[in-house]
Amino acid sequence: MQQDFHYYATYAAAYLAGYSHEECMDICYSAEFVDHCSATLLAKIEGPEDAATTQLQLELMDSPMDILGIMEMTRIWSAFHFLPYDLYAEKKWATKIYKNKYRLICKPNGALLAETVNLAKGKSLQAVGLAMHVLADTWAHSYFAGTPSQVINNVNYYFYELVPEGDGFIEREIRFRHKKSTPDDIENGLYSNTLHRGIENSVMNLGHGRAGHFPDYSFARYKYLPAWDNYKVVLKDNPKDYMKAFTQMVYAMKYLRGEYTSFELDRYDTEAVEPYESRIKEILEKRQLDGCADWKEFCQELSGETIEDFDLEKYQDEYLLAPKPQKGYAFLGKFIEAAYSQKHMVTDRIYKSGNRLAGISLDIKGKKL
Amino acid sequence: MSNFQRITSIVTAVFMLGFAISLFIDPKSGYVMVVSVLGIALIGYGVGTLIYFFTMARHMVGGKLELYKGVILTEFGYLAYSANDIPRVYVIIYLAVLHLFEGVVEVLRSGEAKSQGGHWKLKFFHGIVDFALAVLCIIYIRKTNTAVFIYAIGLVYSAAMRIAGALRKSAIVYDDSPVT
Repeated sequence: MQQDFHYYATYAAAYLAGYSHEECMDICYSAEFVDHCSATLLAKIEGPEDAATTQLQLELMDSPMDILGIMEMTRIWSAFHFLPYDLYAEKKWATKIYKNKYRLICKPNGALLAETVNLAKGKSLQAVGLAMHVLADTWAHSYFAGTPSQVINNVNYYFYELVPEGDGFIEREIRFRHKKSTPDDIENGLYSNTLHRGIENSVMNLGHGRAGHFPDYSFARYKYLPAWDNYKVVLKDNPKDYMKAFTQMVYAMKYLRGEYTSFELDRYDTEAVEPYESRIKEILEKRQLDGCADWKEFCQELSGETIEDFDLEKYQDEYLLAPKPQKGYAFLGKFIEAAYSQKHMVTDRIYKSGNRLAGISLDIKGKKL
Repeated sequence: MSNFQRITSIVTAVFMLGFAISLFIDPKSGYVMVVSVLGIALIGYGVGTLIYFFTMARHMVGGKLELYKGVILTEFGYLAYSANDIPRVYVIIYLAVLHLFEGVVEVLRSGEAKSQGGHWKLKFFHGIVDFALAVLCIIYIRKTNTAVFIYAIGLVYSAAMRIAGALRKSAIVYDDSPVT
């Protein structure tokens, strides 16, 4: 997903869940910050680099392709962007080494999602925002895994966009190219993706890199052959999925505010969203590279407040200049704490499922390291 | 990284260092050894690709390509192994181009890292070293032992990186309470 959803749509969902404008701003800032909190940024603000929630392209290119580099990537991308659906999934005749990757495939409504939301219960607004980022990404990043893997994440020439025309859709083959500097061309169906390298653990095979940025566009409807699904065609309907993500965020945040006693998977607050449904659908289906302006307009109408644009620098000085014991109370200090908890929880669950791809998780209380 | 992986990594590094030292001592017979090792490496890569097919890629859409790739690479490996008398100048040119390319990439990356406030000095240093090796290759293109020495330097560097990687901390330790 992009800033339009992680920042503005998260603001709208938080507002509909009952948070105040100021609280919504903190939540949506934190949700968006997940896509920016790299080791490079943390080094700049003198924060702990292992709290990173993303990796810059530059960092990925420099990342060693040994087991430690893969573990580092898996910890970050599985915990924050490609939450695994079923860590105990089975596949007939598959080896353990294959299943370790197969089990990291992201889909909505997995057991780890409930743990993610519950982890934010009673915690800071930063933790709420971070959890909403993870939740939203389970919808956009379905069928890809947060670990470099050709056998899971590769896509081939069979990739078609369903472009609305009249009352129906026409199928148009998507053409991928490797020019990061050139913006995606929606009109002509030209999208950037990563180069194909026939190496299982190549960074090019991380997440949805082989399908480029396309799965992140809210308007995208497409069908393709996931590498892992025995030649079965998957049909992905982003406008529908993004609406589900939005209504699930409203429900999840109502739970976090105490409106419900437990968080249930596959539950959506369609009632709160119903008055705005057609407007939201219109924004989601609009064929554009960036929906920030439309979402911003909607959010401002919704709350009657002015919503400032996302400013990456906003809280950096506060954290950098805070004395060491006070850093945990700074805005980014609370975000870092939430990031540690989420990364710890997901790494721990992957490790306990017998899968070492995210590294070894050690409980530090009462145990000698 | 498990203890077994650490030990394997260190043992491999020790072998690499030993091989590099033997190349420094006897570069003449070392040349044949280098080309032979490259051939064996190609065979290893081919066999590895075949194992990859049987353990993972057979479940992948289009995975049969890995099977064909494995067979072809193994064949090429045998070919390279049996043709180790090619003129040395070609090997030196190959090394020069390789180091030059790596040098350019590293220096560009260091510039990018610097502009984003990240760590850049080590990358810049790597880039300069690669440039220097490329220049050395070109200057000593007529010296028959150059390829062997540069290959040996590369081996020492890789071995050092392996040892450093094996000694890196890999457990995830957090200062909050354990998840239950």
